[in-house]
Amino acid sequence: MKYQPSLPEHNDNVSHQHPVREFFILMAGVLSFVLIGYWVLGLVVDVAVDYLSPEQEAQLHHTLDIDWDMGEEVKPDEQAKLQKLVDSLKPCLALPYPITVSLVKSDIVNAMAVPGGKMVVFSGLLDAVSSTNGLIFVLAHELGHFKNRDHLRLMGRGIVLTILAMLTLGGDSGFSDILASTINIRTAKYSQTRESQADRTALQALQCHFGHVGGATELFESLQSRGKGIDLGLTHYFDSHPELQQRIDDLNRLSHELGYAVQDTQELIEP
Amino acid sequence: MESLIIFLVLLSLGYVFGKMSENRHYRSIHAREQALVTLPTTSSKKPIGNSAPIHHAELVHGHVVISVDYFKQMLAGLRNIFGGTIQSYETLLDRARREAILRMKERCPTADQILNLRIETSSISKGDVGDRIGSIEVLAYGTAISFESSSQNHLE
Repeated sequence: MKYQPSLPEHNDNVSHQHPVREFFILMAGVLSFVLIGYWVLGLVVDVAVDYLSPEQEAQLHHTLDIDWDMGEEVKPDEQAKLQKLVDSLKPCLALPYPITVSLVKSDIVNAMAVPGGKMVVFSGLLDAVSSTNGLIFVLAHELGHFKNRDHLRLMGRGIVLTILAMLTLGGDSGFSDILASTINIRTAKYSQTRESQADRTALQALQCHFGHVGGATELFESLQSRGKGIDLGLTHYFDSHPELQQRIDDLNRLSHELGYAVQDTQELIEP
Repeated sequence: MESLIIFLVLLSLGYVFGKMSENRHYRSIHAREQALVTLPTTSSKKPIGNSAPIHHAELVHGHVVISVDYFKQMLAGLRNIFGGTIQSYETLLDRARREAILRMKERCPTADQILNLRIETSSISKGDVGDRIGSIEVLAYGTAISFESSSQNHLE
């Protein structure tokens, strides 16, 4: 036996496919799996939320009694006045559980419906509306989110997304964040239809409360006059509230369709 | 958004530098393998092609620790979901085995043969799942022998 020194011409132990191609194929597979899963489970959440009885929902709110730390709270008597306004709307909305309002000192012109039957109102909102009717409309809009159970839908979808990301990619891999940022656009679009729905509910509540819908578009008009010049071009995609003019038009059309009258508004007594 | 940017930067850095270091390593492996091709290294327990008495025998070993780049690690993570061959780790293991054998050979440049070659591979993974170091250690060891007759040095 003679030893012949030689080296193999080809390396058969490694594949020669391009790794970038493999990466994109696999990534597309994962993303489509997660998107389809998210979409399907999102529908399941919607169905489940619709089937929830008011008692179960109240129980859920009780369980979710989380302390949402939103910032510095304003004087208790101002908060009590807001609470009174919210309570006065209850007969018009027929919510099966109490809503607690907390007024938070902030320049932000917004209010939020958070799970657990809590409504957060930022004090910037009180400066942006000039009539009680305008303020009532915004409060009714947030109550509309509760009535339409939007907070539960969003929370359900959040849970679905977290579970999907953890199942496919492991809890703390970088992929989870990418998925979250990809799906955010979808979530925003989803909640746009919910915003319009809440606007509709609020309009009906306004009519029920005052007998007319004067002041419904007040906040949007005020925001429109303030917001000029700060449009970054991204708001179309990332702003979860439908564009202001669109919302004003929709509200006007809706009140016309429903035969709601527009009358003079009551001046806002600073709460 | 920030984490997406960080991820993409890490991914491209991993790809570019991983590719560069792999190519450099392969060039070095090819050149050194060519230089050491005349030192027979086998898994045989007896010397091949020669019955001359053995003058000297010793245990020689070479080992190496190599890590994958971020890109390959992510690719393997994706492959983990669907199954199939993890092609991105193939070059890692191939390089590590060949490098370990080369280092072993370089320890005994005057030997006539290396017998009974064994290769052991172990993974070095420290830390939590998802935050692991994807490194491997390869150890190659064998018995280097020299024959009594000096003319037999490096078998023809």
